[in-house]
Amino acid sequence: MIRALTSSDIEVLVTYSENQARVQHSFFCIFLRTVQSLIHSYGLILVCLFGHLLVTAETPADKDFHKNVRVYIRAHCSSCHNSAESKGGVNLDVYDFAFNVARRGQLFQKVVKAVEDKTMPPNNRTRMTQAERDTMVAGINRILDKALAKKDPGPQIMRRLSHREYGYTVKDLLGVDFDALAYFPSEASGGEGFDNQSRVLYMTPLLWERYYEAADSIMRQVRADDDLWSGLVPKSYQPSVFRRIGNWWKGRGDNPIELWSKPAIRARETILPLAWKTYRRFLDPQEEEELLTFFATVYTENWQKKNAFDDALAVVFKRMLVSPKFLFRMEANLPTNTPYEVNNLELASRLSYFLWSSMPDAQLYEAAYRENLHDSTVLRREAQRMISDPKFKRFSESFVPQWLGVQDLVRNHQADPNKFPEFTSSLKEALSQEVIEYFNYVFKQGDLLKLIDSDFSLINEELAQHYQVPNVVGSEMRVVHFTEQPRGGILGMGAVLAATSLPTRTSPVLRGQWVLENLLGTRIPPPPPDVPDLVEARGHVKDEFDLRGLLEFHREPSECQGCHQKMDPIGFGLENFDAIGRWRDGYREGTVAIDASGIWGADQIAFDGPLELRSILLQDKDKFAENLTRKMLSYALGRGLLFLDTHTINNLKNQMIKSNFKGEDFLIGLVNSYPFRHRRSDQVDQYKDNVL
Amino acid sequence: MSEHAFSRRRLLKGLGATVALPFMHSLYPSSVFASTPTKRPQRFACLFMPNGAYPPAWTPTGTGSDFEFSEILSPLSGVKDKVLVLSGLMNKNSISRFDGHYTKTANFLTSMPITRTVDAKVNAGGTSVDQIMAQHIGNETLFPSLQYGIDRIRSGVDLAVGFTRLYGGTISWATPSTPCPREIEPRFAFDRMFRNHIPGKKPLPPDPYKKSVLDLVKADTKVLERRLGIEDQNKLGEYLEAVRSVEKRINQPANLEDFAARITPDVRKELQKMDLRIDEWAEYSEGVDITKKVRLMIDIMVLAFWSDASRVATFMFGNSVSSRNFSFLDGVSDSHHSVSHHNRDPRMLSQYQLISKWHIEQYNYMLERLDAIPDGDGTLLDSSMVLFGSGLSDGDRHSPYDLPIVLGGRGGNKFKTGQHVQYESKTPLAGLYQTMLHAMDLPSQQFADGEGPFCELLV
Repeated sequence: MIRALTSSDIEVLVTYSENQARVQHSFFCIFLRTVQSLIHSYGLILVCLFGHLLVTAETPADKDFHKNVRVYIRAHCSSCHNSAESKGGVNLDVYDFAFNVARRGQLFQKVVKAVEDKTMPPNNRTRMTQAERDTMVAGINRILDKALAKKDPGPQIMRRLSHREYGYTVKDLLGVDFDALAYFPSEASGGEGFDNQSRVLYMTPLLWERYYEAADSIMRQVRADDDLWSGLVPKSYQPSVFRRIGNWWKGRGDNPIELWSKPAIRARETILPLAWKTYRRFLDPQEEEELLTFFATVYTENWQKKNAFDDALAVVFKRMLVSPKFLFRMEANLPTNTPYEVNNLELASRLSYFLWSSMPDAQLYEAAYRENLHDSTVLRREAQRMISDPKFKRFSESFVPQWLGVQDLVRNHQADPNKFPEFTSSLKEALSQEVIEYFNYVFKQGDLLKLIDSDFSLINEELAQHYQVPNVVGSEMRVVHFTEQPRGGILGMGAVLAATSLPTRTSPVLRGQWVLENLLGTRIPPPPPDVPDLVEARGHVKDEFDLRGLLEFHREPSECQGCHQKMDPIGFGLENFDAIGRWRDGYREGTVAIDASGIWGADQIAFDGPLELRSILLQDKDKFAENLTRKMLSYALGRGLLFLDTHTINNLKNQMIKSNFKGEDFLIGLVNSYPFRHRRSDQVDQYKDNVL
Repeated sequence: MSEHAFSRRRLLKGLGATVALPFMHSLYPSSVFASTPTKRPQRFACLFMPNGAYPPAWTPTGTGSDFEFSEILSPLSGVKDKVLVLSGLMNKNSISRFDGHYTKTANFLTSMPITRTVDAKVNAGGTSVDQIMAQHIGNETLFPSLQYGIDRIRSGVDLAVGFTRLYGGTISWATPSTPCPREIEPRFAFDRMFRNHIPGKKPLPPDPYKKSVLDLVKADTKVLERRLGIEDQNKLGEYLEAVRSVEKRINQPANLEDFAARITPDVRKELQKMDLRIDEWAEYSEGVDITKKVRLMIDIMVLAFWSDASRVATFMFGNSVSSRNFSFLDGVSDSHHSVSHHNRDPRMLSQYQLISKWHIEQYNYMLERLDAIPDGDGTLLDSSMVLFGSGLSDGDRHSPYDLPIVLGGRGGNKFKTGQHVQYESKTPLAGLYQTMLHAMDLPSQQFADGEGPFCELLV
């Protein structure tokens, strides 16, 4: 136990000793903190001083870990998963204490799963007996359960409005339509793949510049529209003729700072309510005063001009639109070690940005102000109201395309225009719309499993022509049952089928991967780097017909086999849909029949065609439930999911299965969940300054 | 359909049926800096190509000044004496056991390993070399640096490999953890710099309260800081940094006046033409003609260098793993990423080669534009360093060795151009970045795995 101690080791020690009730806040902790600050301040590296502490500080949990887990790790895992080799990026050799295991909970959950499933140790190694497996799994679970017993809502960093949220907020606040997604530089995603994840919502000089120009252009639009403006400024102010003469004599305008002067009262009446809405909270007296003073300055400098009052208000509104108080959703950080409920207004914002991608409306504010939003009855009532509001469609628009990975279809998808001249931008728009409308519909119908399997979709005339369905007239999307072809559910949607194709042809591999990852949450590891990537891209492929033979060849025993035998059959099951989602009976102008059969899963179930494929997928509804839970939770919290979310995920997933995939119940459960309503303090670290 | 025959805008603008002249079709004798004998400002641009190039089809034959361009590089023959083709370089830190593309894109200009994460710890290992330059010389221009592209950044995360796709769409990093967003709309990019200088367009009305607003929002952050946790404060720090950079630009009226003075009648004529071309492109070619879009973005960069609006720019031809459909090229029927996995099939290789060559043609376009503008005793190209490269060599194997790298321009007559230099295999690419920093007289003692400047390239 001789090695250099770094400050993170000390951090671990402190956490560790704090976890042990018997030494909480003891001299030992204080002593360690002191040592830590010494390391920070002086860069001291203390060698082996505390070695004996580490050894002697062995707890019952550690003994349990050593006896029931570590022995098996040493015997069965370490030969590959060690510091030198770290096979698959996993090194299990460094875990000597129970608290280390708890800190890498996600990793050890995977270990548990691999040992339970018997995927590890691999077949070519010494087998573990069932008793050994059970002991090891139980031992790890004891540590993980203990770690999860303490509720933790996870980190919550303030979120900048995503571009979509910015657009909708401006719409709801000022009534202006503003295409924020086109106006601001495009952004990447984080977490489980969404654009509302706090850590990737950067603020950069270019973006700030754009925010300023956007505020400018938005305010100009509002000013130009009398209806909008009078909505914001119900009572404008124009000095009377006498007043003007008087002002002209005095050489200055009405002093809006004088508390009871008419423009001052009017300005206060106009600015403050809008400021509350813009900042999504009440203002401090200083904040109010600062806004009114700014108004007064602008007004007094321009008092001779016509519309000086309104123009000055517009400048103040603009100033609010570029403030961090508007652009970021902030939550108070309380100095406490225990997680706490966010306040009512903050919860209102969490709700509205989750369900509406926008600010709360008057009714939600009213509820937040007069009642306790944390009360599950109130919360249920409000959530239900919001879900039945037309604005809920924004949830479908934002969440669904990102979850299904079809959000880039309109702007970025590249189908070969020579081969598919029919794939116009208007068609792409309609295809994207279909996904959103369909989700919205089945959500309200109450059965999310219809996403996987159904015999209908919502289409308009353009899509009907694309899908070769007769008798659909008009641009409005409506429910249409497919009687002639086995289409239906998201696996029959052109958006999904095109997004999983290459520019010139279909790709069974991509489609299979898509189903496994986006619907069932099964991660397919990438092909090893620095070897040829997509197997199917190898030569000899003139068109789709050749693919089957080629892929079958590559599924013969090899390093590719493991994954391709999972992915490819699913993709072949969908081969009757071409690269832009049209039905086809065969390849090469229908001259060569399509073989859409395959064998699915560990149970080797045979299927033929999309219909049977879908019903087989339905049997995996637990996986579907877990995946959808993860996606929605990550979207709701604006962060990637962590080990500490395990219980929340499991509870919500079980709820979903129990309620027979009823979307509304699930969302209400989600907004009632612990992390959605709680916050943990991100305390100002006294050592922070020394670190940097 | 030719756009010129039907351009309504052209008619409206009273320009009749004049044929759209190519950018800077004629040489103007007087340049912005022609009369000033002082040291010419140096410029840096980087054009990044996704998906690599096949080394046998890329590498020139012969080394030193006696070399023959390969087919892919042949478009450069007009500026052969002003380019350096560098073979044998590698980006060691781009090797990853997890992934073939993201880890070879985000760190193209940082030469450090990137952190495997979907969001929590986005980090490119270091500040990219263009941003290091911008931090040193950016203050001298209105816009410290420009980041351009033509595609929206790909959204989503690659959960299978554990990377956010952000990594595939960013080569410029202001700090190791702050990616610089890219402009992809010619109109936005152009207006940001030149909106108030386009002949015939009314300048935007002055904004007398912008400065007060900047002060007020800065004060907002001060008040808020006290109520927030550490990570929130870091976010506010980003905000404050952004505000300051805008403030710097408007607080120094001298800078704005200097800039206005550099918009000479010659530049103004080009601005007018560009303005028109962008409108025409938006009306007729948007979403159809990618070559035109690339050239617009390149011309905007050239204008930025010419008017000294900025001296540092990066441009991405596509996100990594770009599946751009190149069937508009004769002889190409497949997408970029697909043909990059050619398995040595001659039909795939020939398409791969054609696509690579298209990229070089666009690069050559930029070099020739720069070379057509007088600057001091020479041309803008002589005072610039225009890097072209990819994070892969052979896309089929995701190979990080023997990267395709060309440096165009003499960087202020610092480089011995007109050569093909063959480095020993596995020579760090970072060494080239050190060389460029050195040529700019910037401190370059250490940069990633670089082992010092390539002195043999320098005059």
